[in-house]
Amino acid sequence: MIAPPTSQTGDIVFEARQLAKEFDGGQVAALRGVDFQIREHEFVAIVGPSGCGKSTLLQMLGSLDHPTSGSLTYRGASIPGMPDPSAYRAHHIGFVFQAFHLLPTFNVVENVQIPMFEGGLSRTQRRERAVDLLKSVGLDHRLGHFPSQLSGGERQRVAIARSLANRPSVLLADEPTGNLDSENAVHVMELILKLHRELGMTLILVTHDPSIAAQASRTIRMKDGRVVPADSPHP
Amino acid sequence: MTFFTIVVRSLVRRPVRTGLTLVGISIGIAAVVALVGMAWGYEKSIVRQLDVIGIDVVVSNMSGGLMPKVFDESLEEKIAPLPKVAATTSVLMQMLSIEDAPMMMISGREWGGFTWDKISVIEGRLPHNATERAVVIGRLAAEVLKKKPGDTVQIEADELPVVGIIDGQAVVENGAIILSLNVLQEITLNEGKVNFVDIRVTPGTTKQEVTALCDSIKEIFPEGRAMVASEVVGTSQGFRVARAMSWSTSLLAIIVGVLGVMNTMLMTVFERTHEIGILLAVGWKRRRIMLMVLLESALLGLLGGVLGVALGALGLKILETTPAIRGLLEPDLSPRLLLISIAIAVVVGVISGLYPGWRSSRLSPSLALHG
Ligand SMILES: Nc1ncnc2c1ncn2[C@@H]1O[C@H](COP(=O)(O)OP(=O)(O)O)[C@@H](O)[C@H]1O
Ligand SMILES: [Mg+2]
Repeated sequence: MIAPPTSQTGDIVFEARQLAKEFDGGQVAALRGVDFQIREHEFVAIVGPSGCGKSTLLQMLGSLDHPTSGSLTYRGASIPGMPDPSAYRAHHIGFVFQAFHLLPTFNVVENVQIPMFEGGLSRTQRRERAVDLLKSVGLDHRLGHFPSQLSGGERQRVAIARSLANRPSVLLADEPTGNLDSENAVHVMELILKLHRELGMTLILVTHDPSIAAQASRTIRMKDGRVVPADSPHP
Repeated sequence: MTFFTIVVRSLVRRPVRTGLTLVGISIGIAAVVALVGMAWGYEKSIVRQLDVIGIDVVVSNMSGGLMPKVFDESLEEKIAPLPKVAATTSVLMQMLSIEDAPMMMISGREWGGFTWDKISVIEGRLPHNATERAVVIGRLAAEVLKKKPGDTVQIEADELPVVGIIDGQAVVENGAIILSLNVLQEITLNEGKVNFVDIRVTPGTTKQEVTALCDSIKEIFPEGRAMVASEVVGTSQGFRVARAMSWSTSLLAIIVGVLGVMNTMLMTVFERTHEIGILLAVGWKRRRIMLMVLLESALLGLLGGVLGVALGALGLKILETTPAIRGLLEPDLSPRLLLISIAIAVVVGVISGLYPGWRSSRLSPSLALHG
C-alpha cells in the first residue's frame, strides 16, 4: 500500500520532477519535463490550451498511465512504482471526468457502489453509503434511474458521488463542466467546491474557464507539455 | 447489489447472444449425456443380464468385432471337470439386422443349459427340443418387430416360426431373439462353433477360487479369456470401443462448446473495453476484472450444462423408445452422469473464460477510457 507520510514530506501530496510522457514510441511528447508540488488541502487549477498535456498529467497522478521518465510521488511514494495501483486508485484518488464515464447498465445507486467492492463494506453498508452520497449531491430521489434517463448535470453529480465512494483524500477532476451548459456547470462547480471545503480534500481541477480557475488557491499554467513559470507574462 | 449481480447483469443485457451461446453449450452437453448415457446403459444392461441368468464366469475369445470370434464347442467339455465348476453351457451370440431392426441380439443357447432357466413364457411356448427350427422372442423385441406366436421371422436366409414371447427379466434378454444353439449354428453356417461358454460355480466359492478357475481356463484356452461376470464390462473390447467412441465424440462436442463460449466472451470483453476501463479507473483490481469475466463464463457453462442435461435426458428418453435402440440397451441416466456433465459444462465455461479474462485484465485504463 502507500507509505505513511514522513515528517519531511508531511504536507506535500504530489511532487513531480522532470515528469515526461511520450506516446507512440516518442512521436508524441505530451509532457516534456514537468515540475510541481501540490500540498494537502490545496485547490489547484490546471489551465492551458487544448492538447497541452493536462489530461495526460491527471492520468499520471491517478496512476491510470505510466510516465516515460522523471519522478512522480504521492506522499513520498513513487506512483509508477506502486505495487498495487488499483488500491491507490480505489482508496486515495477520486476521479471525475468530462465524459462522466458512468456504467450504462447500472442505475444511479448501483453506479455509486461500484468502487466500494474494493472496500470492506457489507452489501447493506454499500447501499446505505451510496444513498448518503447521492443525498449529498442532491440526487437521492433518482436512485433507480439509469444514466440515460438523467441530464448531463445529474450524470456528473452521480459521477462525483461515485468518486467519493471510498473517502479519497484527493479529487482529480478533468474538465468536469466541459460537457455541461452554464447553469449545470455552475451547479456542479458549487458542489465540487463544497466538497473540497467540507471534506478538506485536495482538489486538482483541469478547466478552460477563467472564472473557475480564479476560485483556485493556485493555478498551474501549461503549454506544449510544460509548466509555464508563474512569473512569465500572461498571453 | 453484489458482485454476482454485476456478473448476471452483463449476461442478461444481451439476451439473444446469451441465449444462442446457451443453446450451443447445451447441445454439446446433451450429446455428452446421450452418448455416454447410452454406453453406460449398454454396460449396465449386460451386467444385469449376467446377474439375472446367474452367470459367474464368461469364457470368450479375445478378439472379434461387435461379438467375440467363434471357437470350437468342444471347449465346454474341457472346462466342465475343472474344480468349483457347477454348471457350464455354450452360447452362440450374433448381432444381426432383423427385418426392420438394424441390430438385434440373436442368442443360440445350448438346449437344456441353465441360460434357459430364467426365461418365462408370456405367450405361446418354448421350442420343443434342440433341433426344432423355431425361435422365441423377448417381449421388447416382439414389440419392435411386431411379432406374435404364429408369425415368422427372417434370420439371414432362413424364415423361422415364432413360437413364443418371453420375459427374461433383463432388457438385453427381452430385446433378443432366442433359439436353440444347434439351429443358430446351422443357419449362420457356424456348425460346431460357439462364442461363449457361461459358467456357474458351486455355491460358497471364494473370489480367489474363482480367480484360480479363470487362470486354469486360460491354460486350456490360451487365445481366449475367462472373466468374472462383474468384470466382463470393464475388459471387453466392445465395451471399451463403445466407451472410447462416446467419450471422443463428447470431447469434440466439448471443444466446439469451448470455442463457442470463448468467442462470446471475447466479443463481450471487446465490447466492454470502455466499461472495463471505468472499473479499473475507480480502483477495481485486475484480478477482480478477470474473476468477473471468468464467473460470467462459468455461469454460462453452468446454465448451459443444466439445459444440456435436460435436453440430453429428454433425447435419451425418446431414443429409448425408437426401434433401433429399444431392447438393446437401457440408457443410464444416473445422477453421476448428470453431475459429471454439468461439471464438464462449468469447466468448459471456466476454460473458455480464461483467455478473454486475461485479455480484459491487461487493458490499460487510460486507453480503455479514451475508446
Ligand atoms: N493515448 C494517446 N496516444 C497518443 N497520443 C496521445 C494519447 N493521449 C494523449 N495524446 C496526445 O498527447 C497530447 C496531450 O493530450 P492531453 O493530455 O489529452 O491534452 P489536454 O488534456 O491538455 O487537451 C496531445 O497531443 C494528444 O494528442
Ligand atoms: Mg483533456
